[in-house]
Amino acid sequence: MSDPIMVYIGIPLIKGIVVLGVLLLTVAYLTFAERKFLGYMQVRLGPNRVGPKGWLQPIADGLKLFTKEDLIPGRAERFVFMLAPILLFAPAILVWAVIPFGESFTIGGVEIQPFLADINIGILFVLAVSTIGVYGIILAGWASNNKFSLMGGLRSAAQMISYEVPMGFAVASVLLMAGTLSLVGIVDAQRDYGLWFIFPGILGFGIFFVCGVAETNRNPFDLPEAEAELVAGFHTEYSGMKFAFFYLAEYANMLVVSSLAVILFFGGWLRPFPNVEFLAFLDLVPPFLWYAGKVLAFIFVFIWFRGTFPRYRFDQLMQIGWKWLLPLSLANVMLVALGVLLLKG
Amino acid sequence: MSFGDFVQRLIPTDLFTGMGVTGGYLFRKKETIQYPEKRMTPKDRFRGMFGYDIERCIDCHLCAKACPIDIIFITDHTEVEMVGEKKKKKKIIDRYDIDVKRCMFCGLCEEACPTEPKAIWLTTLTYEGTVYERNEGLYFDKERLADWEGVKAFPGVVLPIDGQDPASPMKKLEVAPASGDEAVGEGAS
Repeated sequence: MSDPIMVYIGIPLIKGIVVLGVLLLTVAYLTFAERKFLGYMQVRLGPNRVGPKGWLQPIADGLKLFTKEDLIPGRAERFVFMLAPILLFAPAILVWAVIPFGESFTIGGVEIQPFLADINIGILFVLAVSTIGVYGIILAGWASNNKFSLMGGLRSAAQMISYEVPMGFAVASVLLMAGTLSLVGIVDAQRDYGLWFIFPGILGFGIFFVCGVAETNRNPFDLPEAEAELVAGFHTEYSGMKFAFFYLAEYANMLVVSSLAVILFFGGWLRPFPNVEFLAFLDLVPPFLWYAGKVLAFIFVFIWFRGTFPRYRFDQLMQIGWKWLLPLSLANVMLVALGVLLLKG
Repeated sequence: MSFGDFVQRLIPTDLFTGMGVTGGYLFRKKETIQYPEKRMTPKDRFRGMFGYDIERCIDCHLCAKACPIDIIFITDHTEVEMVGEKKKKKKIIDRYDIDVKRCMFCGLCEEACPTEPKAIWLTTLTYEGTVYERNEGLYFDKERLADWEGVKAFPGVVLPIDGQDPASPMKKLEVAPASGDEAVGEGAS
């Protein structure tokens, strides 16, 4: 099994297919989970007609979107209009190349690492690639030749720029604690430290999560697609498979933000208090399940937010971003830096 | 801004209160009624599909006059019958049509009906009269009113042709029609 073709092409290919398959399946079922949970929070049942208890609903939705007519508005910029969904969807998938799911394990004498790549600038890669997605939204809004879409795209641009900055600082506070940019390294640092980074970095986590919600255009920061004001914002003119790409990208981005929050602040695949022997029985749960469980808990919080909060006004959004989160994140970085300096010397 | 306000704005506790409310609703009993399988029983005074009994109708036209939008259309003719030595005039109902598509279910026709029990009534609990074509499908003449052709009766409701009791549509009417009116009934139907 040490055949170089297998090691350098075969196993990465299989891993890529598995990651992509699991990711798309999860995303599809997240749409179902969201509709179900929202329904439950609104004291109704949610989708329950397709298949047993509605479990085939995502497949029916997918088939519907596949077979739908693909409209392109007459005066739209055709090339950009078709490029935009790909530009949003591809980064949302690409990010998964560096996100680790668990510890390496061996099958048949071959060590398998449950991630596609552990590059030493992992978190930088994630931030850089996921930012490309904004172009998808802006270009979609512009190319649609529709005022609602354009407004949505513009809002998205302003929102992304505003919230990228405090998010970057919140991540920086973790980097100060971990001393590495590699996502695997950050989780290992939490194991060495013996605590999840949420405990020293609770303020950073709060800032990170709020910014993450804003970055994924989710409630209460869903201004780019604000239904009540902008019809559907940047994807007003999209239908069929292109719309499905926007939809999938939104959920894939939710998964990315949840995964980042888990890796940066909740110890990735580590059990709670990874060095306390007393809790060793928790190791019976495989690391991947710890990771998946934490991510799904975050996804639930996303859905919970959507079921609870009304949308912010745009000036309020800007105010929160620049007048509260940015100073707070700067103060947080300084505090964490001071703490690291005092404790580690 | 006092320090307390600053902390309040820094840690938005009211957001968590809101999330607590929605989180509580997550576990509530759901209000949804799975309609085709389960139906809500309408209240006693619910006004639904028309019940009409031509046996009890005395052809007084009061319901047609009471109707604010004139959707009840009645025509009749008089027949002279010999009962023993005397001539007796009988009114025969030719048409008794209700254009249900325009009905607003005000119930004034039922209120105006002088017979006891009512010859026209709306408390039938039945509301499933959906059709694909409203002009033909929701136009009810006296035959359709009798057997409710095209209307799905609410489960347990007795059809008007079987003698539904206007007071409680789940039951059959006990009272037998008076013997002298039999000739009218046969002539009409």
